[in-house]
Amino acid sequence: MVDEAKKKEVLEKMKNAVIQYDEDVCKEGAQEAVDLGMDANEAIFEGLVAGMEEVGRLFEAQEYFVPEILMCADALYAGLEILKPHCKQMDLGVRGSVVIGTVEGDVHDIGKNLVKMMFDVAGFHVYDLGRDVPLDKFVDEQLKTDSELVCLSAMMTTSMVGMPKVIEKIKEKNPDCMIMIGGAPTSKELADKWGADGYAEDASNALKEAIKMVSFLKKLRAEKLNK
Amino acid sequence: MNSRERVIKLFKGEQIDRVPCFSGMGNVTTEGLKKFGYKFAALHSDAKLMSDAAASTYHLFGFECGVVPFDLCVEAEALGCEINVYSHLEDILYPTIKKKLIHNENEMDITIPSDFIKRGRIPLMKETIGYIKKDIGAEAAIGSYVLGPFTLAGQIMELNDLLKLSFKKPDKVGKLLDILADAIIQTALEYEKAGVDYITVREMGATSDVLSPRVFKNLILPYLKKIFAELKVDTVLHICGKTNDIAVSMLESGARAISVDQKNDVAETRKKIGRDALLFGNYDPYNVLVAGTPEKVRETVRKCIDDGISAIWPGCDIWPTVPPENINAMMDEVKKYGGAK
Repeated sequence: MVDEAKKKEVLEKMKNAVIQYDEDVCKEGAQEAVDLGMDANEAIFEGLVAGMEEVGRLFEAQEYFVPEILMCADALYAGLEILKPHCKQMDLGVRGSVVIGTVEGDVHDIGKNLVKMMFDVAGFHVYDLGRDVPLDKFVDEQLKTDSELVCLSAMMTTSMVGMPKVIEKIKEKNPDCMIMIGGAPTSKELADKWGADGYAEDASNALKEAIKMVSFLKKLRAEKLNK
Repeated sequence: MNSRERVIKLFKGEQIDRVPCFSGMGNVTTEGLKKFGYKFAALHSDAKLMSDAAASTYHLFGFECGVVPFDLCVEAEALGCEINVYSHLEDILYPTIKKKLIHNENEMDITIPSDFIKRGRIPLMKETIGYIKKDIGAEAAIGSYVLGPFTLAGQIMELNDLLKLSFKKPDKVGKLLDILADAIIQTALEYEKAGVDYITVREMGATSDVLSPRVFKNLILPYLKKIFAELKVDTVLHICGKTNDIAVSMLESGARAISVDQKNDVAETRKKIGRDALLFGNYDPYNVLVAGTPEKVRETVRKCIDDGISAIWPGCDIWPTVPPENINAMMDEVKKYGGAK
């Protein structure tokens, strides 16, 4: 049985390492968690994700900006890499896969990568198509992988106008597939008009939405454990 | 008073009959392309096609300027990046950088090629500006734009790396911005020689959505000052996204006017910068001008003027598929309402 006080200390260490974007300390914490025989899923959710939740709050309070978030993400990934091989398949009823990418005409991928990170953390299988992705590739990849979710990102107004075409094609072939759009020019009105299931207007909002989703999983997990 | 006189007087701070309606960024429309039968992807590398398209928004709608280029890659290309103009597609896509110049932190110590202004499309831009001037230069203001040093840095290296380094190694980033400021000055001076009336510096990478106002002031503002100190024509500094906390710094850059988008609370900015500073903006060029109704466009124009804008000016490039009835409504409302204040 892992010593509760020690466990708490290790979780706290990982959480703070993410917040203070310290890759080395985060790796150290993750390794300690593994060495102690702690549950890897718990280490991810109560350590790394807890840290990212705080980062999201700091961003909203305008204490952190995108450079800090990117460094926090590096720290999170450093820890995740160590913990991932020790994860047991979680039974949360949301196990799934997602196709994600930035649409053709746009080479910005920061928002996309932050959302991808939260999917990685949550144990999704992520098919990352990268950036400047031809529209048909999203449709093909969704069909090929039968993913439940497709995320389309565009930072420029000038590139997001290709989105409705992808949404229409995917929904036509697979009406149950959920589609999220993200990027500076998107809005609730556009998401509704184009038939998308969700939207996030920028990298921070995308991160916030993704954190919300993963926080929900975290809560679900805690409830399950308490039963 | 014709459009050119109106814009020039605005920059000079002289009396004008109403607020002008123009832009410092791309404003080509599919209506304009239809008139000539041009494909968008073909415009970027042909001076005649580009100038025809740039002048068409004035010819068709009385939009009070002609502006080139239509993409954000001119300086990066002349520095050695490869670009993609998407000529294989029928859809309108703006050129992007296909191959970066700097691939890691160790390659940041670049030098500007000695024949920089003869490279890429810089000579083509000069030729294009000459054609637009011949076409509409007596009646409408002719503008061009360059990127700000931080935004240009984001074109020639990975934005992800640039952002992290601006935090971890600001000295190294500062050095790169200094070099890029020189490249930008050289480019802008060529456009001046070609006869533009005004130049917009687009530094959208420095928005407070991405960078803290502190980093903007310490790391980026000094190089914007360097640029504006060298330009002789009237200048505009454009930053999109959140800008309320940096609006005063934007004016300190030495730009004659500042340009903000729909995320800026213009009434608040006006209070901060005083009555006489030139503040351009801030209608949403997609959600209002393209996706909105003529009535929504008119309302937005009136709100911009009530909030204290000095010129009705879009928050970004105008998306080409703008419906003619919307741009006509905008011009009409500016004429009706724009003299009231």
